[in-house]
Amino acid sequence: MNALTLDVRNVTKRYGDGETAVTAVRDVSLAIQPSEIVLIMGPSGSGKTTLLSMMGALLHPTAGTIRLDGTALSDLSERQLPPIRLRQFGFIFQDFNLLSALSILENVALVAELAGSKRKAAREKATAILTELGLGARLDFLPEKLSGGEKQRVAIARALINDPALILADEPTANLDSKIGHEIMRLLRRIAKEQGRSVVIVSHDQRIRDIADRVLWLEDGRFKDVITMTTDPVCGMTVERDRAVSVERDGEAFYFCSKGCREEFLGRLRSEDMGGCRSAVLQRAGSVFAHLASGARDGHASD
Amino acid sequence: MSATWLLARRNLLRSRARLAVSIGGVALALTLVLALDAIFEGVGRQLTAYVDRSGADVWVAQSGVRNLHMVASWMPAATTDAVADVDGVALAEPILYTTDSMSAGDERGWAYVIGLTPDASMGGPWDVVEGTDRPGPGEAVIDRRFAQRAGVGLGDRVPMLGREFRVAGLTEGTASLVNSVAFVPFDDFAARRGGEPAISYVLVRASAGTSPDALAERIGTSVDGVAVQTTAAFGLAERKLVLDMSGDVISIMNVIGFVVGLAVVALTVYIATLALRREYGSLKAFGAPDGYLYRVVLAQAGMSVVAGFVAAVAITAALSAIVPRTGVNLDLAIAGASLVKVAAVAAVIAALAALLPIHQIARLDPVIVAREGVST
Ligand SMILES: Nc1ncnc2c1ncn2[C@@H]1O[C@H](COP(=O)(O)OP(=O)(O)OP(=O)(O)O)[C@@H](O)[C@H]1O
Ligand SMILES: [Mg+2]
Repeated sequence: MNALTLDVRNVTKRYGDGETAVTAVRDVSLAIQPSEIVLIMGPSGSGKTTLLSMMGALLHPTAGTIRLDGTALSDLSERQLPPIRLRQFGFIFQDFNLLSALSILENVALVAELAGSKRKAAREKATAILTELGLGARLDFLPEKLSGGEKQRVAIARALINDPALILADEPTANLDSKIGHEIMRLLRRIAKEQGRSVVIVSHDQRIRDIADRVLWLEDGRFKDVITMTTDPVCGMTVERDRAVSVERDGEAFYFCSKGCREEFLGRLRSEDMGGCRSAVLQRAGSVFAHLASGARDGHASD
Repeated sequence: MSATWLLARRNLLRSRARLAVSIGGVALALTLVLALDAIFEGVGRQLTAYVDRSGADVWVAQSGVRNLHMVASWMPAATTDAVADVDGVALAEPILYTTDSMSAGDERGWAYVIGLTPDASMGGPWDVVEGTDRPGPGEAVIDRRFAQRAGVGLGDRVPMLGREFRVAGLTEGTASLVNSVAFVPFDDFAARRGGEPAISYVLVRASAGTSPDALAERIGTSVDGVAVQTTAAFGLAERKLVLDMSGDVISIMNVIGFVVGLAVVALTVYIATLALRREYGSLKAFGAPDGYLYRVVLAQAGMSVVAGFVAAVAITAALSAIVPRTGVNLDLAIAGASLVKVAAVAAVIAALAALLPIHQIARLDPVIVAREGVST
C-alpha cells in the first residue's frame, strides 16, 4: 500500500437540472492525510453520502476536482474508475452489501481475484484477514447466517483485502447496536493507526466522535465549522474543543470534559508550583494537544 | 474454476426453484424440437428400411416410377434378362410389389406385399425372428409387431391379395407408422394378378469394381422403358415423400421450441438478475469491471441452457426407448444433424437471454450501494 493523500477541491454536485435540480454538495474542499481518521457528520440530506461517493470515485462531481496523489479522479472516464476503486479504496456501507450466494471467505476472496490475485493466494489472504477479525470459525458460512456485527466485519475484511490507501465508510454502524457499533469503530481506528490507511467515516452517531482525529460538520452541502477534538489532560477523555470546559495558562488553552477535571488540573498546578514540577505537567498536556491539533489543521473547511 | 463460474454457479444454485423452472423450460422446449425431429427421422428410416436392407445396389422400375410408396410399377417379365445382360451386372432378380390391406383379428393395416422368387438373394426379409425367411407356396412372412397385435402366430392364416396365406415366418424391422411389409411367393402373387407375366422391380447387384452410379446409368441407356436409380437414390426418393409432408410441421415446431425456450430462459435470467441488482451494483462499486458482470450473467444463462439441453437429449432418448415398447409402430431416431441444430438453437437462446440482463447491468449505477435498501 502506498500512503496517498486525497485532495478534494471546490467540489460541487448537482443532481438533475432545471427547476428540479438539487445541489447536494456545494464547493467543498478538504484533504485527507495518510492514517488520518476523519468523521463527517451532519443532518440527513446534507450531502454526506454524495460527498463520500465522489471521494470514492463512485460519482462524478459536477464541478471541482478530486485528486488521489496527483491523479485527478474527476477527470477519469467511467471505464478507468473501476480499477482505482478496486485497488485504492475500501468501501464499507450501512447495508453490508455482501453477495448472498457466496460464503464469507468467497465474498472477500472474490474482490482480491477481481484485482488479479490467483484463487489460492486470494483465499489465503482472505482467510488471514477474516481470522484476524475474529471470523476464522465462520469462513464457510453464508452471509445470512451471520449477525450484523459479523457481516460488517466481513465487509471490513473485503474493504481491506486489496490493501487500499483509503477506507470510506458510510454509516457503518447504523444497522448495529451501540456496543457492536463501538467495536467496529475501534477496529476502524486500529486499521488507520496500525496500518497507516486513511479512514473517512460518515455517521450520525455522536458517540463515535472520540475515535476521530477530525470531525467535520456538513450542512446543506457545506462544511459549517471544524470540530476539533482534544484530550482532557486529567482524565484522558477525548473532548470537543469548542464545547469543552477550558482554562488558559501562560497563553495556552487547556480543555476538560468537566469542571471537576479543570479543578483537579488547577489544583495540581498549584501543588506542583510548590513542588517545582509545574512546567512538566504543562508540557505533557501540551504535547497531547499539539498532536491532535495537527490532525485538525488541514481539516480546515471552506464555506 | 474462475471467479466468473464460481459466482454464476452459486447464484444459480441459490434459487433452486428458479433454476428448476429455467432448466425445465429449456428442456421442454428443446425436447419438443428434438423429439419431433427424432420421430420424423425414425419414420423416415422405417419407411426406407426395406429399400435400405434390400441388398441391391441398383433398383430398376417402370419408366417414371421413382419409389415404392403409393405407386404401381409394371414391366414385362423379360426386363430381368435384359438388365442381367448389361455389362457390370452381377445379379438381377425380379420382385412383385403392391400395397394391400392386411387384416387379422381386429387388426387392420396396410402392407407392402412383396412377391419373392424361391431363390431370391435380394429383397427378402433380413431379420426373421421366428420360422422361415423364404415363404413356400401358400405361405407368408409377416411383421412380428403386426402379428403380435393381431394375435396371430406361425401357422395362422392371414388374408392378402384376395386369398389367405399361412404365416410361416415373423420378421422384425419391417413395420412403420404407415405400413408393414409382407413377403409371399412370387408365383402365388403372379397367379392372383393373372394376365401377362410381369414384374414390378428388378433388384441389381453390381459386379466387383462397378460403381452403382455408373451401373444405373448404363442400365438406363441399355434397357428401354425403365427408370433406374441406385438404392441410395431410390431410398431418398421414398423418404422425401415423408420429409415433404413433414417439413412445414418441423419448421413450425422448431420456431415454437425456440420461442418457448428463449422466453423461459430470458425471463428466469432476467428475474435472477433483477433480484441480485444490488449485489451486481455493489460489485461495480467495489471495482468489478462491467465485462466481469456480463460474463457472470452469460455463464448463468449458458449453464441453464446446457443443463436444459442435456435434459432434453436424455428425455428424447428415454422416449425413443419407451415408445416402441408401447406397441406403437413408431421409432424415434436422434440424428446427429438434429443434435447439432438443437445445440445451436440452445446457444442462441443463451446468448439472447443474457442480452436484457446485460443491458440492465450496464445501466446500473454503482452508487446504489451507498443508498439504503434491503441487502445482506
Ligand atoms: N440520485 C439523486 N437524485 C436526486 N437527488 C439526490 C440523489 N441522491 C441524493 N439526492 C439528494 O441530495 C441530497 C443529499 O443526499 P445525500 O444522500 O448525500 O445526503 P446524506 O447526508 O447522506 O443523508 P442521510 O444522512 O439521510 O444519509 C438530498 O437532498 C437528496 O435528496
Ligand atoms: Mg447518506
